[in-house]
Amino acid sequence: MSAPLAETLTQLRVGNQKFLIDFYQRSRHLFARWAQRQYRLDAPRAHGLLQDTLLDFYDQVADGRITKMPDDLRAFLYGMAQQRLDANVPAHVPLPAAEAGRRQRLLAQFNQLGPDCQRVLTFFYFRGYHFEKMGGKMGFPNATVARLQKSACLRKLYDLLK
Amino acid sequence: MSPATPPRPDLRPYFDELERFADGQMTPAEQEAFELRLEQDEALAEAHAAYEQLTADLRWAAGHDTLRLRLQALDERMNERGNALARTEQRTKLRQRRGTILTAVGVLVLLAAGVAAWYLSRPSAARPARSWEAYYQPDPGPLVTPALLQDRPLLAEALDQYQSGHYPAALHSLGRLSPPSVGADTLQYLRGLILLRQGQGSAAQLYLRRVAEDSGIGELPRRARYHLGMAYWQAREWAPALAELRAVAADSLNPYRTTARRAVAAGVLEGR
Repeated sequence: MSAPLAETLTQLRVGNQKFLIDFYQRSRHLFARWAQRQYRLDAPRAHGLLQDTLLDFYDQVADGRITKMPDDLRAFLYGMAQQRLDANVPAHVPLPAAEAGRRQRLLAQFNQLGPDCQRVLTFFYFRGYHFEKMGGKMGFPNATVARLQKSACLRKLYDLLK
Repeated sequence: MSPATPPRPDLRPYFDELERFADGQMTPAEQEAFELRLEQDEALAEAHAAYEQLTADLRWAAGHDTLRLRLQALDERMNERGNALARTEQRTKLRQRRGTILTAVGVLVLLAAGVAAWYLSRPSAARPARSWEAYYQPDPGPLVTPALLQDRPLLAEALDQYQSGHYPAALHSLGRLSPPSVGADTLQYLRGLILLRQGQGSAAQLYLRRVAEDSGIGELPRRARYHLGMAYWQAREWAPALAELRAVAADSLNPYRTTARRAVAAGVLEGR
């Protein structure tokens, strides 16, 4: 079991989030029942809590705070959710962590960008698309236009941060 | 950002070359020269480190946001599917409930119809029968004896057919009899009786009236009067029917007096 799980962690680091999406789809109902029983949370709040917990998990994998896949992933995630509730962390706010402030600020500014800029930067920096592929996805006439667009969006984000 | 973190350098003066270097857009010669400058120019090295941190953070932010949006979209899809399933289940339950109600209503209607049919068709002292047949006392006619068979075979045959309920055959047999051999009044009386039993009240009246009115007094005219009243009733001529039956009920010598009294007392002919 550990070998596929270790592989999963690597996949998560390179941006393959399918594992977490599948986990949410499979566990949403059971998690909501657990949260209802333990904390009297209604279903929509429990679903939001599970989403935030999975985002926390992803962040911790992405920034190296989690380097080994937990043996019992379900228990680990439920524990993270419990920590969130015990610490009264508001919804959609990640757990406190090193560098969280800087990253959260960048995330907030990233969400201020227009949808096209968000997509361009996601394609380049998260998906790792080259300019030609990104141009095709975005409907740009060629790779040069894609490169110029990406550059303009990155500057816009940097200006927002300043 | 923690307060101990040193202020980040401004990337703007270096943005173009940092980006070209990071994205692999420089020629090999440009790249080599840039790497050399990185080693020598401290400000450029700081800017490069800050740029690397920026893009690393951006990679994280884009991944985080992608996951957030994917989870939200999945959540909405699952909610919609759950709602659709709940609606389908609700519709099925509603349909089943409606079916049960309709079946129950159908059963109730059938029961009510059955009860109503039973109530309307039951004989009741409070609600007297309105049909003439309920008050009719048939006259079977003379017995068919061996002597009658021998003396008047045609009359015996007609009586036998009448008593067996074969009215058209009985009428045919009567037609073959000659009035002098039986008596014109008897023939007319029997013809009236048979027509009445056949349901031809109007036709029966003609023969029975002749016997009742033209034959003077005697038992046959008395009998004929009762059957004449019933023939009127059968023909739905209420007033003459009532008049005849009242006359029969008032006649102490009429063998049908009791029956006629019962019909008059029931009051079903009055007010029609």
